[in-house]
Amino acid sequence: MTYSNLLFIYIFLPAALAVYCIVPKKLKNTALLLGSIIFCGFMGFKMMLFIMLYCIANYVAALFIYNIRPKIKFIPMAAAIIFDIVMLVSFRAEYFSYLHGFMKIPEEAFPLGISLFTLSAIGYLIDVYRGDIKADKNFIRFSLFIMMFPRIIMGPVVSYDIFVSILRKRRLNIAEIGAGLTIFIKGLAKKVILADQLFMLYSASMSGGFENISASSAWLGMISYMFCLYFTLSGFSDMGVGLSRCFGYRFPSGFSYPIFSGRIRTFASHWHIQVIHWFRKYITRPLSSMTDVPLLSKLIFAAVWSLAGFWYGFSWGGVLWGFLMGIAIMTENKLRRFKLLRSNGIFYTIPVIMILSVFLALGDISDAFRCLWAMVGGSGILADSMTAYLLRSYAVVLIATVYASTDLFRNTIIRAKNSRLSWTLSFLTPIAMLMLLCICTSLMSYSGKSDILIINL
Amino acid sequence: MKRTEKITAASVMTFIIAFSAVTLFRGNLEIMNTAKKNLIDGGFSEELINCMAENFPMKDKWRAIGAELNSKFGEPIVNGVYIDDERLFSLDLASYEDMDSAAEFVNEFTEKYDGAVYFAAIPTSTGVYGDVLPSYLLPITEKQQADRLYEELSPDIRKIDAYTILKMLSDNNYIYCRSDTRWTSYGAYCVYRTVIQKLGFIPVSYDKYTIFHVTDSYCGNLYSRTSYMESKPDILDIYEYDDGTVIEECTGIDKDGVKRRITPYDESNIGYELYLGEPMPFVKIRTSVNNDKKLLVIGDTSSDSFIPFLTKHYSEIAFVSVQCTGRDIEKYIDPDNYEQTLFLLGLDSIANIF
Repeated sequence: MTYSNLLFIYIFLPAALAVYCIVPKKLKNTALLLGSIIFCGFMGFKMMLFIMLYCIANYVAALFIYNIRPKIKFIPMAAAIIFDIVMLVSFRAEYFSYLHGFMKIPEEAFPLGISLFTLSAIGYLIDVYRGDIKADKNFIRFSLFIMMFPRIIMGPVVSYDIFVSILRKRRLNIAEIGAGLTIFIKGLAKKVILADQLFMLYSASMSGGFENISASSAWLGMISYMFCLYFTLSGFSDMGVGLSRCFGYRFPSGFSYPIFSGRIRTFASHWHIQVIHWFRKYITRPLSSMTDVPLLSKLIFAAVWSLAGFWYGFSWGGVLWGFLMGIAIMTENKLRRFKLLRSNGIFYTIPVIMILSVFLALGDISDAFRCLWAMVGGSGILADSMTAYLLRSYAVVLIATVYASTDLFRNTIIRAKNSRLSWTLSFLTPIAMLMLLCICTSLMSYSGKSDILIINL
Repeated sequence: MKRTEKITAASVMTFIIAFSAVTLFRGNLEIMNTAKKNLIDGGFSEELINCMAENFPMKDKWRAIGAELNSKFGEPIVNGVYIDDERLFSLDLASYEDMDSAAEFVNEFTEKYDGAVYFAAIPTSTGVYGDVLPSYLLPITEKQQADRLYEELSPDIRKIDAYTILKMLSDNNYIYCRSDTRWTSYGAYCVYRTVIQKLGFIPVSYDKYTIFHVTDSYCGNLYSRTSYMESKPDILDIYEYDDGTVIEECTGIDKDGVKRRITPYDESNIGYELYLGEPMPFVKIRTSVNNDKKLLVIGDTSSDSFIPFLTKHYSEIAFVSVQCTGRDIEKYIDPDNYEQTLFLLGLDSIANIF
């Protein structure tokens, strides 16, 4: 089960929130954990059992790491990290998909979370090993770190100390619930209204096969893929952040308007912020600190980006996407001294991002090159009537997509809040949220869910 | 600005709670119990979500709004249905593999069977009127599917090209429902004229029939999938010709094996069930035609409006709906009791049957 379905929005969420508000303060974490166990239970009993065992394994491993002699504490750490990675690979890699099949877990539900909570668990084990934090003896708190239902699908991946400090600063009141619902509905709208339509546009654009597809269709396909990916990931991230806020916890947002960045580097730092930060903190920095050779540092930088790409796509295309992103960031850093690049950053950033997304989208490298060939007109057709038809059909969504990808709306709201319009805004916002919720409900009314996922994390 | 958040919380939560309360109140608890059986694996939540989608308040209104919004936001495709100004089109396509599988079934049947086998593949409204759709939506046309199916059929089978008949008549004739994948009675009659000649009879001419409009507000299976309010409803007709032939017996066996008396035209139903009633695996019709000719029809729901035309020519017609029986037709009938067998299969249902 994900957040974008009628069962979650209209049954699970109000029930969980009601129970959470009723129980005494001391039991709130227990209630939230219970809610999270039930949430996992909706994905199947086996799935619920797996996550609980996963929590126990990491909890015990961290206690071992913390309590045994420093010389041998790398053993439980390595064992636990290997266990986590094996679990991740078992579920995500194609060749190990039998485990996924055996557990009969709906495709759209489980893999979406495992990549994120694996990073959380590994980060925790490393922090305990380094002595940055103590191994937590409170099993309920640790289990919440792994399986808290507002975080389980799309994070955010925060370190354990930050997570604990957020738990301690719980502010449960009606204003927080309102703010949380606003963020949740925005995320839901991103997924249901924009991402789903963009996925249809992507599928339609690429339906002709790479041999017959026109350059314009190939570009339209890749642009819609990139926006679809962004709105799917940031939509789920917003929904998670909003849900956490409803329960009184303020987690940071995972995306900060990355698409229209003026630099590739800015795009990278605004895209899946905590995940990119995780790779920097736990892999790039430790490895780079071991060498003073600039070339080696650069290689490490590109290799870690390749790993991040692999984490995204679990394919060679993903690896190449990550590697090329790393190279692009380093190249940009070198070339920034030229005035031309400084002033027109957005004009090269977007094409580079779109071109590189081909590798992430298609996974298979030969397919990606065939698509790139089509994008430069290799099929002999530059533009066709199909592109015109699709542009005409999806004009509303494309305009909304571009607008929603920028921070224009957010800035307008901030300005309005500080002006005489604030009174009007306090009535318009709830109406707008109700309207968005109704639109999303009507779009999900056929199957009861919005189940298109462009990438399984 | 706490005021904004408080009003948002109050209004959104009130809406969510009211919505969930009504849904639970209306909920079909039987489905909930079925879902519980899948608690161990991941099917549990899927079934609950489906249950929720079927039970939430003003479902049709929400879906109608959804269809309207979908067509405004992007392509007018809702739940696998393309919404055109004139009609709705199903985008569910069978593959060549499905055609091969169907052909294999028919060939196996023919090998074991002593009588003559006739085969007509019936296109859907998409197959006949789908030229208006963007070409990428139909990578294989129904004409190509039908050609492939006929190629794979044994030479012993006599093939009837229903596609060409219907395509030729498609311009100015009301041969297909606008809100359904299936043909109208007139569409069925046009194909009947050719089929019955192949079977060795002279067709009843059109002017001999008295036509009754049973309803002009039929909303078909494509409407049910979209709830698109702007779609045009259809007219369902009954064709009657009084030549003295009477139907002496018309019985059906339902999925539970219970024998039921039915009528070729069940006017208590204003849906497509008007023809032969609710879907049943097996229907047997005995008429007063005194020629000892018996016909076995193996078909699907598109055959329902076709079979009444045959009653003027045969003393006995047996109809097996493969949509209900799958390949297991011998469970209901011994085909060798019939000297002729007519396969009348919709190209859309072939994918789901074989």
